[in-house]
Amino acid sequence: MNTVRIDFELNGLPTTVDVEPYINLVDMLRDHLDIKSVKKGCEQGECGACTLLLDGNPVASCLVLAPQVEGRHVTTLEGLEKNPLMVDLREAFVENGAVQCGFCTPGMLMSAYALLRDNPHPTEQEVKRGIEGNICRCTGFTKILEAILDAAERIAPE
Amino acid sequence: MKPIPKLQYHAPTTVDEALELLADLDQAKLVAGGTDLVPLLREAACRPSHLVDLNRVPELNYIREESGLICIGATATHTQVAASPIAAKAPALVDAVSRIGSPQVRNRATITGNLCNASPAADSAPPLLVHEAELTIRSLGDTRIIPLDELFEGPKLNCLEPDEIVTEIRLPVPPGGSASSFKRIGRRKAFTLSVVSAAAYVEMDGAEIKEARLAFGSVAETPVRAPDVEALLRGEHLTDRLLEEAAEAVKSSVAPITDVRGTAEYRRDMCGVLLKRALAEAEERVR
Repeated sequence: MNTVRIDFELNGLPTTVDVEPYINLVDMLRDHLDIKSVKKGCEQGECGACTLLLDGNPVASCLVLAPQVEGRHVTTLEGLEKNPLMVDLREAFVENGAVQCGFCTPGMLMSAYALLRDNPHPTEQEVKRGIEGNICRCTGFTKILEAILDAAERIAPE
Repeated sequence: MKPIPKLQYHAPTTVDEALELLADLDQAKLVAGGTDLVPLLREAACRPSHLVDLNRVPELNYIREESGLICIGATATHTQVAASPIAAKAPALVDAVSRIGSPQVRNRATITGNLCNASPAADSAPPLLVHEAELTIRSLGDTRIIPLDELFEGPKLNCLEPDEIVTEIRLPVPPGGSASSFKRIGRRKAFTLSVVSAAAYVEMDGAEIKEARLAFGSVAETPVRAPDVEALLRGEHLTDRLLEEAAEAVKSSVAPITDVRGTAEYRRDMCGVLLKRALAEAEERVR
């Protein structure tokens, strides 16, 4: 089976990769482009560990086929390392004990980032809805909720 | 986890091109959001040789109002519909699509895909049934329009031919004095299949119900209307007593099954509960 060439933007950089058309985005990123923040969890779009931003919107990269990102913008945690909002979120996660085993953390951070970017003053209920597609099996979610609400206060002091 | 079996990928940029591919290729399957299809591919529950992706067909991505109809293009996502001021004229639809799956799913999954999967539990179906939605279906050189209920032939079975594409969902812009509501029960609030779902649509003339339509999910082999209960409501005043009567009547009008999500008996009872909640909210929204 022939591979297909895919041109897209990865974390702001024009990227070209040749892959089989039937692999999914999470495999393409991990196996061909050394992007390891996107985790392979359920591979059914249920757990959220592979969450990244496609044209700015959170999606489960296990449900996106590699050629579907042709011409589009993919943002992973790696691309937001120095982003001020992500820095605040990361620090809030650490300081609030929102990280235990850490497997869900990159996906959780991506969902939290999209939430606070679009809604800097979310209610607790809105935070819950923002991360409803991300499963954490360690923390029981309370610490994560607290961390995201804490990060919201850091970015927008009033 | 199993890899996705080998297949060829096609990304047409016009509907005509997509229709030609469907007509020419053997064992081709359409993909839009992929949120249902990709897991099926991996489980080999669905084994196409070709995938025809509709995401790069710009003419299919819209939500617009046109000659008294709300028109939703095939690749409009749940997120797009949930945020659309045009779709907001059908409030039951927005209730449903803004709670399906998770943000990650809603950003990819399309309403048309949700319908075409023909799941009895598809949350977008009951609202579109009570809004009397129709589907525009195209194949090479032909276009047909069917009422939504004709799409559903059984669990996971739709009426489409292999060379057809549902290009549009259309529903009448609801008249003044009308409103709708959608209610569901799941095992939890977030990201779960409905155990039972219900949509209600009413047109009020003062205190009198001029028109009532009800539809339910996960209570039969397909999403269904409840015409006998609708008839009981028409011309009446929406009192607590009428709600109780309708809730009682609906229990004999549906034929749910027992499965891992709930028993038939529970589902039948919950139809009554959801009917009352949805009707009351729809009526409240009219006011």
